[in-house]
Amino acid sequence: MLLEINGLTKYFGGLVAVQRFSMQINEGEIVGLIGPNGAGKTTIFNLITGVHRATGGTIKFAGKDITGKKPHEIAKLRIARTFQLNPLFGDFTVLENVSASFHLHPRSSLLDIYFNTATYRHNEASILERSLEILKLVGLDKMRDELAKNLPHGHQKMLGMARALAVRPKLLLLDEPLGGMNPNEIDFTISAIRKTQRQGVTILVVEHNMKIMDLCEKVIVINFGQKIAEGSPEEVRENKEVIQAYLGGKKVA
Amino acid sequence: MTNNQLSPSTISQSKIGRRKWAKPAVYAGLVVIMALIPVFLSSPYILHILILTYIYMIAAVSLRTITISGQFPLAHAAFMGIGAYLAGMASKWLNWQPWFTIPMAAFVTAGIGVLVGYPFARLRALYYAMGSLFFGIGVIYIIYAGGVWTGCYAGLTAIPPLLPLVTSKVPYYYFFLGLALGSIIALYRFEFSRIGTNLKAIAQSHLVASSVGINEGWYRILAVGVGCFFVGLAGAGYAHYNQVLSPVSFNFMATLWLVMYVLIGGIGHFAGPIIGTFILIVIPEFFRDLKMYSPFISAAILGIVVYLIPEGLVGLSKMVRSRFTERRKDTWAVNAS
Repeated sequence: MLLEINGLTKYFGGLVAVQRFSMQINEGEIVGLIGPNGAGKTTIFNLITGVHRATGGTIKFAGKDITGKKPHEIAKLRIARTFQLNPLFGDFTVLENVSASFHLHPRSSLLDIYFNTATYRHNEASILERSLEILKLVGLDKMRDELAKNLPHGHQKMLGMARALAVRPKLLLLDEPLGGMNPNEIDFTISAIRKTQRQGVTILVVEHNMKIMDLCEKVIVINFGQKIAEGSPEEVRENKEVIQAYLGGKKVA
Repeated sequence: MTNNQLSPSTISQSKIGRRKWAKPAVYAGLVVIMALIPVFLSSPYILHILILTYIYMIAAVSLRTITISGQFPLAHAAFMGIGAYLAGMASKWLNWQPWFTIPMAAFVTAGIGVLVGYPFARLRALYYAMGSLFFGIGVIYIIYAGGVWTGCYAGLTAIPPLLPLVTSKVPYYYFFLGLALGSIIALYRFEFSRIGTNLKAIAQSHLVASSVGINEGWYRILAVGVGCFFVGLAGAGYAHYNQVLSPVSFNFMATLWLVMYVLIGGIGHFAGPIIGTFILIVIPEFFRDLKMYSPFISAAILGIVVYLIPEGLVGLSKMVRSRFTERRKDTWAVNAS
């Protein structure tokens, strides 16, 4: 069990965002998390990665309790994420975005960095090499010197994923990786996700696009912060409660 | 043809093609010119102005170090005052040697900066600006309350000089030129190493930066500590050069002047505060009769710079260059078609 969430609860003031949410992810799986807008998917991501502090419940990663840890400590455990609205280091180039994300591995000490020692230069060379590898995987290697803010939307999304991969994640959280992409970009992204999984990365993905759901071994559906269904993509698709959540309860005459 | 020709890879290739030694040669040339100034201009007055320029240059560049992490300190002159008063008092009342009080003051100022910055470093937006603003005002009142020890309103006088047996300004000139050069090189290394990259990453998006494992609070504190170290150094040097300290030199207005040096020089470039300090201290000396209007004039310059060259004076050369290249591109495109 790589990730184990038990009874996770989050209130924003009096508003319930997530209520007693539980799930498990095994190593090497791709798990989909779906639900209507405002169901609490992104909040769950923010709770796992420490951006928000949980009101109740526990999150365990590889057997260790990680509830309440800060975002940079979560990243140190090799849990990486992308963002739905996709903030970037806009004034950095594409390559700098990725190489800045290699903050943790390999790590040079402050003194090594400051005095430009052999260790530091060796680390920098390997960071450059690996950054280019990742950029090739996400298809941005030809735009390495472009400023990130000048990229078209689809490429920015891919850059977000490249940045997450630079953390060398064991668990990768993708928040709507296909949002706003055109069909070509969607196919490319899906193949990149598949390649990533084959390298042994466990993936939790929030997405509306059904193409990605078909990659998943398991799909979890939430609504109003609570889990309403869990199962294979086919099972979930036929689940009555899920259809109700998405299409509304009452018949439209 | 035009679009493909201008793809990023071509641009970077042309950058590599440009002569690499051009920039260092220009900088080395500037340093040599500054080093030769006492040979040709021995007027103590000119040397005095330049010495002050070097001291404030250190302060302005160290202010930049903090701002690249996305924080906006409004007590930088007060920290300069802390460094200055620490060095001055230690030397006057404890008879410590300037060679010891200057580094001591820098380290203690850095420590105070970290202590003050700690509660604010975890908050974002304007909290650090607000907190440091009030701290800066507080420092001035502590100096006023210090009685004989700080010299109160009258100022701390008769501070032992850095070079007791020297009457000429020339040795001081070289000391402060060296101090400024050393500090600027040290801060340059800081900004253009991965430490500076991380600071800039935090400034652009703390959310993304922390998601890749950059410890936001720690790096902010580091920037504050390093910035305060160098401003303390500048202050301590000033104390032993000027030999008189007045609280007015370190109040909120003085901080605003430092901010002006950074803004007018250009906030987006390392050379910004260096050029800004030089221009705003040296040029007004040519118009001494207008000195009483200098806040107005500087405000006008700031307005013009922000409106016409948002990148600051450093951006001027880039603007001119890009206008040229653009024109070249246009004619090129016409020729190509």
